[in-house]
Amino acid sequence: MKGFGIVLYTGRADSLILAGVLAQTAAGYDIPVRIFVTSFATPYFMKDKPELRAPKEFEDLAQRMMAGMASMGVDSWYEMLKTAKELGDVKIFLCSMTMEALGYSKEQVDPIVDDVVGAATFLAEVSESQVVFV
Amino acid sequence: MTDVTPTISIDARGISCPGPLTNLIKAYRKAKNGDVIEVLATDPGFKSDVKAWVERTGNELISLTEEGGVIRALIKVTAR
Repeated sequence: MKGFGIVLYTGRADSLILAGVLAQTAAGYDIPVRIFVTSFATPYFMKDKPELRAPKEFEDLAQRMMAGMASMGVDSWYEMLKTAKELGDVKIFLCSMTMEALGYSKEQVDPIVDDVVGAATFLAEVSESQVVFV
Repeated sequence: MTDVTPTISIDARGISCPGPLTNLIKAYRKAKNGDVIEVLATDPGFKSDVKAWVERTGNELISLTEEGGVIRALIKVTAR
């Protein structure tokens, strides 16, 4: 695999965690990772983040999983992304359109984000990569 | 079986995926060819993960054992 792209759009707790796990693992393999944060994932990449949430129909499982992860001492999704960036070539791009649509400004963006871009930038970055949507 | 003495030891017991592999990778990046890395882990996924990692990176898995819930991997660094 030449590169690994992650489109992170749901903003759900399970998606954020999965993105963290996959990014950290790919970075460890020396695979370049490019993450495109868009739609409802956008608020979680601001300095001031909303609380993690899961879809209603999985509320019981989400509670169980989060409690289990806490007792196991698993890193948070944010920590995992930070580790991924320490380990390898990992870039996080924030979708400029959804950022504006949700009423955020560039000043509110979390420093973990490398750049606020349009879809064209992301697609050019992952033109030869495997891309997943979470 | 002759046991090889590790030159680097990593205790990843109690840490869950992807932590143990990340700790191994961090140590590997500082290692040189000929080093033997020992990893102790309790995450059940570590067994297959370490095999996949060794295969992909082209290093050598000397042994992979499990005793009392603790997985022990001995890896010879050959692909630095």
